[in-house]
Amino acid sequence: MIRRIAFSVLLGVSFVFGSLAFAQPPMREQLVYSLTSFNGSTYSKSFAPQSEDIIYFVANVNNIIVPRKTIVYYWPITRRYMAGFSTLNEGVPGQLEILQGGKVVATLREQKYVLYYPEGYWSEKAVMYLDEEADACYDKYKKAVDEFNKKLKAYYEAMQRYREELNRFFEEVRRRREAGETGPLNIPVPKEPSPPDFVEFYASEPASGFVVNLPPGHYELRIRLDDGTILEGSEKKLVVFTSRRRGGVGYEIIPGNRWTKRENCDDPSWIIHAVGKNELYFNPFTQEEYNELYHNKLQDPQNIGRIERWKWVHVDPVKNATVLLGRGKEILKAVTKAPYFVKQIPGPELGYEIVEYDEELKKKGYKPTFESFKVLLDPSLPKASYTIQAVAGENQAPLPESERTIQLLRKENSTYLYVLALLPIVVGIVVVLGRRAKIEA
Amino acid sequence: MRSFRVMMTLFKRDFLYSLYSLGYYIALFASFVVSSFILKNFLDSIGEEDILVSAYPLNYPLYITLIIISLYLVILSGVSISREREQGTLEVLFYGPVTSGSFLWGKYLKDLCLGIVALGFTALYFGLVSVLTNIGFTVGLVKALVMGVFLLSCIVSFGLFISSLTGRIRSSVLTLVAVLGAFLAIQFAYNALLGFEKESLSVPLLYVRQAMSYVFRGISWISPFAYLSRGLDSVVLENPFLYATHIVYALVYSLIFVFLSVYVMTKRGVKA
Repeated sequence: MIRRIAFSVLLGVSFVFGSLAFAQPPMREQLVYSLTSFNGSTYSKSFAPQSEDIIYFVANVNNIIVPRKTIVYYWPITRRYMAGFSTLNEGVPGQLEILQGGKVVATLREQKYVLYYPEGYWSEKAVMYLDEEADACYDKYKKAVDEFNKKLKAYYEAMQRYREELNRFFEEVRRRREAGETGPLNIPVPKEPSPPDFVEFYASEPASGFVVNLPPGHYELRIRLDDGTILEGSEKKLVVFTSRRRGGVGYEIIPGNRWTKRENCDDPSWIIHAVGKNELYFNPFTQEEYNELYHNKLQDPQNIGRIERWKWVHVDPVKNATVLLGRGKEILKAVTKAPYFVKQIPGPELGYEIVEYDEELKKKGYKPTFESFKVLLDPSLPKASYTIQAVAGENQAPLPESERTIQLLRKENSTYLYVLALLPIVVGIVVVLGRRAKIEA
Repeated sequence: MRSFRVMMTLFKRDFLYSLYSLGYYIALFASFVVSSFILKNFLDSIGEEDILVSAYPLNYPLYITLIIISLYLVILSGVSISREREQGTLEVLFYGPVTSGSFLWGKYLKDLCLGIVALGFTALYFGLVSVLTNIGFTVGLVKALVMGVFLLSCIVSFGLFISSLTGRIRSSVLTLVAVLGAFLAIQFAYNALLGFEKESLSVPLLYVRQAMSYVFRGISWISPFAYLSRGLDSVVLENPFLYATHIVYALVYSLIFVFLSVYVMTKRGVKA
């Protein structure tokens, strides 16, 4: 009897676990926070599902929180909750309350905002405009797009005329040649119209959300509905943080022998150790250092990070600068930014060559692969310490925290390191024998 | 004044005894062999016509050297205290002008001075490494060496405290090795797990890392190796305020543990 019961229980348990394994990911309606967060350089979009208790924002800048009711499901492959905004995307009426130490420090109403991309939709930089400025910004973009469309229409019409004129031109040439006319025909060649430039900037459509701009600290937030009650499940913690170090310059380095595998030399204490000949392309950036956990969670609350670790975030490329290669106080070379083109070479060798981007390549319709400051570490250089520093183009003033050391190493001597380890033994023998001799004397 | 003279006499006797013994130099040799191994691997990891971007490469060998030297000094002091207690030398000494304070402060000073001499050797060794391979002997390394004195002081004072709690040589050595070994193991294991990104860690290892994080936080104000890590980190951060703060922390930590050791020895007495 006991065996039968045990067998039935085991069968039941296996059935339950077996069905769980084959189950579809559960989908449920949830209150989530849709986030537009400033990440030190630009704005990134993410959402905080119910599983995440804490939302992270950078201090003293505008960030957007929008509470939404949506369908959330767990995607086991990426171990993440996904939001089905296309299925359900319902707004939540009410006010956002921000509390600190149990006291309400701010009550926010939804505001209109747009993200303005001064260098176009695909660029990384974005600026947020609120309320009337948001409307004005979007109107400016719409006006620019309307003007572009008008110009485009005019261009198509001009192209049509151009094609007709071109046909007439060829017809005239053929007719006069067939009529036996020789020598120059002196018929004006129709001029091809040039297309209008697309709008250089971009503005997102105005949207509404709670604008959170707070000093660093730990807060809580919740939604108070229009009837005065707190919306269930809307309470979350809010960590507002700032960078640990800022105002310095970091470098992205493109090694000539592996241009797709770039290196970063961000921290001022980092040293570039080089062996043999090296062709290095430096790209300086202004940067800020953030806590890894906070910054990862800021970009997506479901990310994980290490609170003990810090990471550098490149804010902007340094423009109008010169890079100096020096040794001690002597400047060996001043390097300016130049465009480069990666030329693929067929065959089993390196596979590519980095060449200066010149007029010939431009005429062939190629575009530069990257722009950078090229520094050549020649094997003939003495094996010593060198420095790289970015200076402002206009007054040659050194940019803060932009100096890095380059050590040209003598790798061939590494075997002798073990010999150096014998130093204390030699000293010890001398001391002990000397002492013994002294006592005996 | 009399206690100070007694302390200086004990310090001088122990210091010279250790300095004239080959064990001290063998410990230094062992630490330099480990450093050479690390540095050789560092150099070998850079391919021909290639670069490697890293923080001060001599900092990690310095960290290892500090650990090996301080462990040697701490175990040496622990053994010497227990031996003197077991053999009754301590009891005889305490019938004279020697007190727990002068005895333990003498031991502490001896270990600290031997540590400073070891750091001098380390500086010389790193200088020669720099000449040989052109790995930079930087200002940061000098700062780290100075910080090393205070961090050695932390480890030495903690070791004295553990030694004052134990009676026999065997229990003293075992306790020291177990406690300091556990601190080191936690620190190394946690740092090793921290080096992995989330994607490369299995779920059980993620939980282990989280658990280690709590344990590490728990011991971070007791373990002298945590002070060592933080002190060397402040050098890398190039923040003078943080650097000074860590020196103050190390001094306070050392004072607390030396006073605790004196208190425990006074309470326990000198008999084994």
